[in-house]
Amino acid sequence: MTKYVRIAVLVLLVAALLPVSAVIGSAAGAQGKVALRVTNWAGVEEAAEFQEIVDAVNAASETFEIVYEPKPDAYYTQLQTALAGETAPDLFWLDQDHMAWAYEGVLLDISDYLAADDRDVANPDDYFAGVWQTVALADGIYGLPWIAQPVVLFYNRDIFDAMGVEYPTADWTWEQFREAAVALTTENHYGFTMNGWPPIHMFIWSFGGEVISEDLKTSPIDTPEAMAGAAFYAGMIWNEECCPSEQTIAEQGFGEMFKAGKVAMFMGGAADDLDRVEGLNVGISPVPKGVTGENVTFAWTAATVINAKTEYPDEAYEALVALTEGIHNWKIVSPRVSQANVEHLVASEPRKAANAEAILEAVPYMRAFRIIPRFGEWSTIFWEDFQAPLFRGEDTVENLAADARILLEDVLPK
Amino acid sequence: MTSDSGAFATYYPTLLRYAAVAVGLAVLMYGVYRLLRWLGVKREAATGFALVLPWVVGFLGFVLFPIALSFYLSFTEYNVLWDKPRSLEDPLFNYKRALSIRVVELDEGQRPLQVLGVLESPSPETVRFRELDRIRWGGKTYLIGATDPFFLKAIWLTLRYAVLNIPLGLVGALCVALLLNQKVKGIGFWRTLYYLPAVLPAAAVALLWFWLFAPTSGLINSMLKPVYNLLDMQPMGWFTEKDLVLPSFVIMGLWGVFGANTVILLAGLKNIPAELYEAAAIDGAGTWTKFRHITIPMLSPALFYNLVTGTIAALQIFTQQAFIPTNRDDGWFVNWFVYNEAFNFGRMGYASALGWMLTLMIVVLTLFIFRSSSAWVFYEGMRRDRGKG
Repeated sequence: MTKYVRIAVLVLLVAALLPVSAVIGSAAGAQGKVALRVTNWAGVEEAAEFQEIVDAVNAASETFEIVYEPKPDAYYTQLQTALAGETAPDLFWLDQDHMAWAYEGVLLDISDYLAADDRDVANPDDYFAGVWQTVALADGIYGLPWIAQPVVLFYNRDIFDAMGVEYPTADWTWEQFREAAVALTTENHYGFTMNGWPPIHMFIWSFGGEVISEDLKTSPIDTPEAMAGAAFYAGMIWNEECCPSEQTIAEQGFGEMFKAGKVAMFMGGAADDLDRVEGLNVGISPVPKGVTGENVTFAWTAATVINAKTEYPDEAYEALVALTEGIHNWKIVSPRVSQANVEHLVASEPRKAANAEAILEAVPYMRAFRIIPRFGEWSTIFWEDFQAPLFRGEDTVENLAADARILLEDVLPK
Repeated sequence: MTSDSGAFATYYPTLLRYAAVAVGLAVLMYGVYRLLRWLGVKREAATGFALVLPWVVGFLGFVLFPIALSFYLSFTEYNVLWDKPRSLEDPLFNYKRALSIRVVELDEGQRPLQVLGVLESPSPETVRFRELDRIRWGGKTYLIGATDPFFLKAIWLTLRYAVLNIPLGLVGALCVALLLNQKVKGIGFWRTLYYLPAVLPAAAVALLWFWLFAPTSGLINSMLKPVYNLLDMQPMGWFTEKDLVLPSFVIMGLWGVFGANTVILLAGLKNIPAELYEAAAIDGAGTWTKFRHITIPMLSPALFYNLVTGTIAALQIFTQQAFIPTNRDDGWFVNWFVYNEAFNFGRMGYASALGWMLTLMIVVLTLFIFRSSSAWVFYEGMRRDRGKG
């Protein structure tokens, strides 16, 4: 008998937990709001700043309550597993490389929502075209970009002054840039540095080539223009006439060498902190102009997207718009044309006041990757079969480009 | 305050599921207990079966089911982001993709990709033969092409790692165990010290070795600096140079193996009856003879156990590589390769097939070790194949 009493008590105790959690759990529901989960890769500081945006959005909303779950470690593996297990958050961040997930059907197409929405943040025409292409995939629109960070040229004014070299301008050609890099190289410092970054793609674009055609069906990296851009890059990387060797970079750090005053020019994202290193007098310029006369540059971009399996697509869309509006006033550079001005940039990041104009000069010519379904695999082939052997001088650019094109086009959509 | 209540609303379904599983298991245990009792099973046995039930359910759900599912997936095309796997026109496509090899003659001026061609099998994507190696014979050049040369290279690297790591680990551990078996002062401290690496997290150890092997700031190259200067050579790029990737991982792998193996061998040494050594000494046996004819045979069951577990562990090396970036062409082990195919290239079906091939490799090698053990493993003075008698 005692045994049955014990079992009954145990079952009652477990059962007693249910109504308690039900009462607590329905707290949000009682306020008439649905709970939406959002995640991103933010670390401690960035997550705290993002939480402020979430709190403001929550305070203004009568229909939803956002619960923020930052995941700074193994973000994409966790997210992928959660999507597979159908436990993924309602909204999440994806960088442009992972926007290819849209082709796998896990992201909500927000085209209809956007068509019915007249707010500026929901207007596709207000986004830079080179950035918008990362969310406008196939026949749908799969998120809203929240950042468009163009690659710009950071330069150490003190080294330029000491060497008697003119500061870079938007009118520099790539040849002038290379000559300056050589002229700025001495025993104490190098003129420039490359290590696979900045992306070779922007050099190919700047020289008039493409890595993926507009219709996404070819990878014409063996055209004379594309090979000229790639050859220019290969001619400078790890070449000690202008740049540190691979070994030196491994030992002393890539960006660290610029911060230590050992490199005169560095290409980095506009939001990087390279222009506020103590003791360093740093200026910013757009990257050199290419064959078309434009300062074509790479844009690092990312978007907030909605889980295709969200229970609350209407509320999730509203949350997406509200969050994106908040982030556009936080991160630089905003991907919206109407916000590409000094006032908005400085209001978002006051520490960039001195270089705001130079950053904005780079913005009109920035472009992101063209996203294809198997983008990760394409990128791996592009690195392993083209860039890496080219940089190490294992074969001619002609041979490598011809071979790599075959392999790259195997993974393009048919 | 509002975000707290929102958090509860989010986690409530999980909490509910957790409680439901607990209640469900309790009910199941009780049901099984009653059923067994009704079938006439003794109270003690029925209680035992009921108590072991949660583990059995966990095993079935979280071990056996995934194993069976991965076997099924290995015959499908599946990206984890999809709702369900897609069937393949050729169910063996994933296995063919991993193992297909072709040898063709390469004429002057031809490029390998031009002559190797593609895999002729109904497949969801183009699979091209790529150069694995080339041989020159009879004045001609022949290309060995593979549809996945990276996988074959990963197998080769993993096997070489196992061949180097296992014997070195066993011999090293045996030496340490013999030292720790001596009657010296503070032996407890030394035993703890040697066992310590075995209890450290693999991730922390990997990061520690990554730092130790760093090109210039690392401790190993700093210590070798006089040698580099003497020989006028550049510091070695341990994890970055093609030929040094394997030695680097072998050295790192020995770190953890030493501790765990040593404890088992030490226990084996302690179990060897002292009278055997005394009898041998009376017969005039020297140290080497005693070691060769008493220690090794009596320790062979422990060595056998270490060999089997060491082989399985070496072939499954993963954690260290997850923290140390290496080149896919010459520095990826099989498990890391499988993980990347599944999660970075979205080919869970293919990764499952690779996983099963690795399993097969481990089973074959383990069986080989078991078969060979009859010749060298002794129990109570008898060889394993003769049993106790």
